[in-house]
Amino acid sequence: MGIGLLFLFLPRFLPRFYVYLTALILLTGLLATSLNLVLGFGGMYQFHHALFYGIGAYSLALMLTKSVLPAWTGFVVAPLVSAGMGYVIGLICVRLSKLYFGMLQISLGSLVWAIVFRWYSFTGGDDGIHGIPLPKMLSASHGAYYFTLVVTAISLFLMYRIVHSPFGRTFQAIRDNPERCEAIGIHVRQHQLAGEVIAGFFAGVAGTLFVTVEASVFPDLMFWTLSLEILIMCLLGGWFTFFGPMLGAAIMVTLRTFVGIYTEYWTLILGIVLMLLIFFMPDGVLGKILKSRAQATEARG
Amino acid sequence: MLEFLSHISLSSLLQQILVGLSRTTILFIVASGLSLVLGVLRIPNLAHGSFYMIGAFLTYSVAAAVGGKAGFWVALAAAPLGVALISLVMERGLFCHLYDREHLMLLLFTFSFTLVFGDIVKIIWGSDFRSISTPAVFQGSLAVFGLPLPRYNVFLLVIGPLVALGLWVLTQKTKIGKIARAAAVDREMVGAVGINVSLVFSAVFVIGCFLAGLGGALVAPTQNITQGMDHSIIMEAFLIVIVGGLGNIWGALLGALIFGLTDAIGILLWPQFAIVFPYAVVVTILMIRPKGLLKSTW
Amino acid sequence: MKKSFWMVVCGMLFISLTAAPLIAADPIKVGIVDCYTGPPSTYTNDVRDAFKLATDKINAKGGVLGRKIEFTTRDSKFKVDLGLSAAKELIMREKVNLLMGTINSAEALAISDLCKTEKIPLLVTFSKSDAITGEKGHRYVFSMNENTSMAGKAAAVALSKKPYTRYWIGGDDYEYGHAIADGVWQNLKKLKPGVELLGQTWWKVGESDFTPYITAMLSAKPDAVIIATGGKNCVPFLKAAETTEFNKRVPFYMHTATELSTLQPLGLDAPEGVLGTSNYFFYYPETPENKEFVKEFQQAFGRPPKVGALYGYITAAFIAKAYEKAGTIDTEKFIDALEGMTVDSPVGKLTIRPYDHQVMLPMYMGVTQKAPGYDFLIASDIVTISGEDAMPSIEEIKKARGQ
Repeated sequence: MGIGLLFLFLPRFLPRFYVYLTALILLTGLLATSLNLVLGFGGMYQFHHALFYGIGAYSLALMLTKSVLPAWTGFVVAPLVSAGMGYVIGLICVRLSKLYFGMLQISLGSLVWAIVFRWYSFTGGDDGIHGIPLPKMLSASHGAYYFTLVVTAISLFLMYRIVHSPFGRTFQAIRDNPERCEAIGIHVRQHQLAGEVIAGFFAGVAGTLFVTVEASVFPDLMFWTLSLEILIMCLLGGWFTFFGPMLGAAIMVTLRTFVGIYTEYWTLILGIVLMLLIFFMPDGVLGKILKSRAQATEARG
Repeated sequence: MLEFLSHISLSSLLQQILVGLSRTTILFIVASGLSLVLGVLRIPNLAHGSFYMIGAFLTYSVAAAVGGKAGFWVALAAAPLGVALISLVMERGLFCHLYDREHLMLLLFTFSFTLVFGDIVKIIWGSDFRSISTPAVFQGSLAVFGLPLPRYNVFLLVIGPLVALGLWVLTQKTKIGKIARAAAVDREMVGAVGINVSLVFSAVFVIGCFLAGLGGALVAPTQNITQGMDHSIIMEAFLIVIVGGLGNIWGALLGALIFGLTDAIGILLWPQFAIVFPYAVVVTILMIRPKGLLKSTW
Repeated sequence: MKKSFWMVVCGMLFISLTAAPLIAADPIKVGIVDCYTGPPSTYTNDVRDAFKLATDKINAKGGVLGRKIEFTTRDSKFKVDLGLSAAKELIMREKVNLLMGTINSAEALAISDLCKTEKIPLLVTFSKSDAITGEKGHRYVFSMNENTSMAGKAAAVALSKKPYTRYWIGGDDYEYGHAIADGVWQNLKKLKPGVELLGQTWWKVGESDFTPYITAMLSAKPDAVIIATGGKNCVPFLKAAETTEFNKRVPFYMHTATELSTLQPLGLDAPEGVLGTSNYFFYYPETPENKEFVKEFQQAFGRPPKVGALYGYITAAFIAKAYEKAGTIDTEKFIDALEGMTVDSPVGKLTIRPYDHQVMLPMYMGVTQKAPGYDFLIASDIVTISGEDAMPSIEEIKKARGQ
């Protein structure tokens, strides 16, 4: 509750840049959480999640710049397009498992990326699309921040409910023991496909938030290196927890921004930090915190 | 599209095929190293590309230091060994403590190495383009079917099969090769028989990275040595390994051949769409045979 | 007692009166966003170093309007989202007066748009997209270097004088590659309607092995080839051209082929006989301004200046002179002063065209050649195309902006 109020009143006492940074962290965290739906809770090697993010962002950007439909339809349609893409990619990939699933996804995603990169007349090619016109409410001073906050909060709430629903529990059971689930009559592939669609949907939502905050899109948004970064955020924060990815996103974005101010070798610092974390916190940062709390209560009890 | 085909003669097609084949050498050497590590240790080593890059940079430095005609040859011998040494230190010092962790965590760990190595290379060698000349004996080109084929490419065409042969001997005929193959399939059994699995893993890892360094050393005279080499090769190497079958050396060769040839021929026949070709081919193959073309160890 | 008390008071008064002018006013802050990692850094380092050289000189003479020019850099690692984020950080947190950069065209366009919203001037260095001052140009963005239209026009002028009619185009498959190829080809067709395009070959940015592309292009037997490579591929392509003897079999043109940035890494392994356009040579023209600049740069950094150094140097010159003319650090007055401003530079007087905020840089067309005394190739048979001749017409800019 207190945290919620904190976020609500942030723009009052923080300078503009930090409000922007918080919005960026929120949407990146949303993206990472959407990945973790299938990664941590589903055990699927989703190696090219950024594809759905990029598709959502581009869909909104294209609708806002090229169509005469009202802006708000774009915000609704874009995540649906991502979900649709999730369905298509899922249909092709869920037949495989683990590493093969991931590699096929990367190949398919790279194919889409290559098309977006090359199709200059429609997608702006490698220049991207900039100066995207946003509804007045969002471009007004802290409009983007509040919109991001509200949408992220709602999305997180929905995802939380899904994870703790019967569907979510089945999904996790599939992660732990797919053969057993098949044996007792659960359609593993169908559940995984559904998971893909949901994860794709929320990644698309994160994509629309990116457009809101930055008013720009470019092919980097669906490049495999970004997918890897989101994966790192999940693992860093703790992929067996719900809020771990959010924490991981916060760590990565802040490290990147602030270490980058002082040295151009911030990737070196990030690499070392990651190595240390892996050695000493194998369940991710949040994982470790929760574990030590659990151990503490055990010791007391 | 037909106007593109009009200038293609049999000779240019054959010439293009030879060019494609010489490219497969580098791809194969790098991919085979990755395949070994992936097949035996079950680790997707993202840092494999970094070792390739370090191999290239080391080749540059050694060749520049030694100078003269012998420079490149000394570098070709020394650079992969240097890379192997670095990988040994990395493996014994850090990696071996993590073998029992989750796969994805190992992936993350190798990723953190790419970050670290990337900046270390930048610190040591700076960010300028580096270039070394082709060794004197290979300069110039041979007229093959009326079109120029650089002599160095011919050298690569010879080296490729030699390395493949060497690896085959190593994995099939030597004791360590047999143990490694057994460990790939069932590491508990190998451990139960009394063999130190950890040392086997170490050896395989070092050999795999040696191959990456060798690939980097061989590619050094043909292109610019820069940061970013690690990123561009790692994706190709992974795709080749997946297409060929994890842990399968011949699969790596087959995958590299497919990649190199379809790329070269695609450039000749459909130059407008060359960028899409490799991905399209990989997607097609994986959809028909998801576990790769040849037998994998997973 | 009274006497010493008054002495102290007078002394303090004296100190405070004389000290006041010594307390400097707030410096003019410049934020540079650029890629300092990987191949592009060989170009961008020069921009930053020459900028530092120029601002150090200006500051030593008392600065601009009594203020020092300070700058801080952020490495975007060629990623647009990092560059955009860094630009926001510089504007909102560091509170810079103006931004400079970047070599990545997509990043430059994104930051340009940000600057339009934030009303902070952006002086673009190195990005060559003609959309920067053309289609997407606006009041707050200026370009300190040539763009693809200008390079294309200059190249077409030179190529139209050659006897070639059957051309092939090969290049990097991204916006810059296509833009520069278009720039050359459209202008060439206008000047010499008889030219024929046999075909095109496009490879990915960061392509490492050009041999199959080169052999494919050779098999078509064109009279000449237009090579449209960007920063990452120029050097590797030239290296491949040398090893495959491409340059000996067919003449080809490449923008920046004659520049030091491209030729220096290859040393004596670079191909001869390659046609190229360039904005700067440290050995030509041999004017006193250029010689002085080269000497200073060489002394400060231990290497001869490349084209990036020219961009960095003139950016500093424009900034200083515009603020002086404006008489204030007010942004709007700065922009008004900058429009149409002329500065002295190592390549002569340079002016910013008021309509599109583009510096009218002269282009030099030359041919690569080995020369005694240098361990890299240099340009020979240099022909100068003036800035005014190379610029796209104002009607073309208007059309691009949809006016």
